[in-house]
Amino acid sequence: MKSCGVLIYGELTSEYHIRTVVKQLLTKAYELNEKFENKDIKVCLIGERRNYDELINELGSYGADEVIITCDDRLKHYDKNYHPEIFYQIAQKYQPEIILIGATLQGKEVASYCASKLNTGLTADCTNLNITENNRLLSTRPTFGGQLTADILCKTLPQMATVQENIFKEQQIEHSAFAHFEWINIDEIERKIEIINAIKKTSENKDVTTSDIVIAGGMGACKDNGFELIYSLAHKMNAAVGGSREAFERGYIEKSQQIGQTGKTISPKLYIAVGISGANQHIAGIKNSGKIIAINKDENAPIFKYADYGITGDLFKILDELITKFDTNKEEKQ
Amino acid sequence: MNIVVFIKQVPDTDDVKWTASNNIDRVNTESILNPVDRHAIASALKLKEQYNARITAVSMGPNKAAEILKEAIALGVDDAALLSDSKFIGSDTCATSKVLSAAIKEKFPDTNLILFGQSASDGETAQTGPSTAVRLSYPFITNVSEITEINDNNITVISENEFEKITYTVKLPAVLCINNSIYSLSLPKIDGYIKAHDYNYKIYNISELRLKDDETGIKGSPTYVSKVYRHDEYRNCLMLNTDELLNKIKEVC
Ligand SMILES: Cc1cc2nc3c(=O)[nH]c(=O)nc-3n(C[C@H](O)[C@H](O)[C@H](O)COP(=O)(O)OP(=O)(O)OC[C@H]3O[C@@H](n4cnc5c(N)ncnc54)[C@H](O)[C@@H]3O)c2cc1C
Ligand SMILES: Nc1ncnc2c1ncn2[C@@H]1O[C@H](COP(=O)(O)O)[C@@H](O)[C@H]1O
Repeated sequence: MKSCGVLIYGELTSEYHIRTVVKQLLTKAYELNEKFENKDIKVCLIGERRNYDELINELGSYGADEVIITCDDRLKHYDKNYHPEIFYQIAQKYQPEIILIGATLQGKEVASYCASKLNTGLTADCTNLNITENNRLLSTRPTFGGQLTADILCKTLPQMATVQENIFKEQQIEHSAFAHFEWINIDEIERKIEIINAIKKTSENKDVTTSDIVIAGGMGACKDNGFELIYSLAHKMNAAVGGSREAFERGYIEKSQQIGQTGKTISPKLYIAVGISGANQHIAGIKNSGKIIAINKDENAPIFKYADYGITGDLFKILDELITKFDTNKEEKQ
Repeated sequence: MNIVVFIKQVPDTDDVKWTASNNIDRVNTESILNPVDRHAIASALKLKEQYNARITAVSMGPNKAAEILKEAIALGVDDAALLSDSKFIGSDTCATSKVLSAAIKEKFPDTNLILFGQSASDGETAQTGPSTAVRLSYPFITNVSEITEINDNNITVISENEFEKITYTVKLPAVLCINNSIYSLSLPKIDGYIKAHDYNYKIYNISELRLKDDETGIKGSPTYVSKVYRHDEYRNCLMLNTDELLNKIKEVC
């Protein structure tokens, strides 16, 4: 038997679709595998009793060799008591060398639980993964200050990493997986957490990950009517609004609008950064954008180095001008 | 009701200094209380007000970290302890959670509730709270924005994920990681400052926490930084005026 190379946590959406980040991790694992003495890639699915054929085929088509399924009707939805513990037991049994998990809220919970139980290292929010000459996992992430990048290694096994959605690209291939059911005694797991109620969140904001145009505001826009101007330009352009971590921490945007290493990774056709300095953690989320425009008053701001077009000056004035001219321009055209 | 709040001192400036071994040089970098840990302190103070809880703030770090413990005392926390030992230096989240869970087991065994910040602004791993909980076999809830009720056996909290706002009831003892919550801190009062000034916090070292040398610090950390470098994928930036910029935008719209 091939030793288990990579184990991936197969997070499912509430409609039982495979979360995109899982496919992306599979594609990456498949690519790494070529350097990694061709060990196998397993995905662990945890859910209700149902037919998993379609999901198994889909996971196979992204490079999974084997799908390990634990199912029980008590596992229909993600359960904090069960899912992390079950994933840990699977990891314990299969002894993978590498465990990859999407850096979703659920994934982070499963990852921390599993890493502590296995007493091993976990690198969060990686922006790249590689295999060293010694067959170790090399996890890359921006580091303090945001001007530098760090390569992180792990002395123990398994080596664990989480990665945000859209850092990698998913790609389907000619490949298929076989499935394997794994029984775990759920009755033995003590329930300490109960859900009392859940309310669906609604957001009127356009999704930054799917919009063709994204305008994001940073610290520079975190005063006066900075974000009002950004929203009003975005409205005219049919763009989504995002922001830096500073903008989130100051309450100008929601967490779901934060762009960067610990927020969303985006790849719109056009990205406009308004009053954002361009720290590495922010750049990590925008690198794959088509065209990048930077608006900043500091001509030395790092963001200009990552941009295709730039304009130096006061963002309030520039936005005002863009908003006004956007309309006149349109009228002229009509 | 005994509450422990774990708080961390983090570097403040963008201009972080580095040691030769690629760790942050904490001596030469300005330091502050991790911003979201304020919300953890605020949540604890709210419980103190409502349920007469006793709050202890605990931090692992060098002597300098006593600054944030004093700050916590000034804000109304009852007690403070510093976990400090040269053998703790270089701990990753795995090793840190060993130290923090040992502190609970050895020094604060009758703690009912443990509060963390959701994540520290320097590493932002958000792993320390959950890992400490797992080592103690306590349940944990992350991203908590509100604590609605607490009794001898259970605590009810609200936590948000990407899609839902969920109310949970959790068996005590438990760990909560508090996010930018609804509770905010008022400024310290004058008697808080006086108490902080005279306060003698406790210090615990590795042997007092009954940890072995190889369980903490660099030796006890599974992960390590192998290399730090600049990672530059620059583009060629063309500087434009607003009209030219508008034309570029229109090409896409
Ligand atoms: C572990 C970790 C994870 C992180 N994750 C993320 C992440 O996911 N996303 C993220 O964005 N950051 C993240 N950060 C934070 C990151 O390091 C930076 O601190 C942050 O991106 C800075 O935000 P900013 O550019 O808005 O603010 P600043 O760096 O303060 O920049 C503000 C810019 O606005 C310009 N400006 C000010 N006023 C005006 C004006 N009137 N007109 C024009 N320009 C003006 C200034 O010249 C400056 O360049 C993370 C940090 C850590 C440690
Ligand atoms: N050295 C430390 N001492 C005390 N608490 C800590 C320490 N490191 C992390 N924490 C706590 O863990 C939380 C999350 O930190 P992190 O996992 O580093 O993102 C922080 O908000 C603190 O509450």
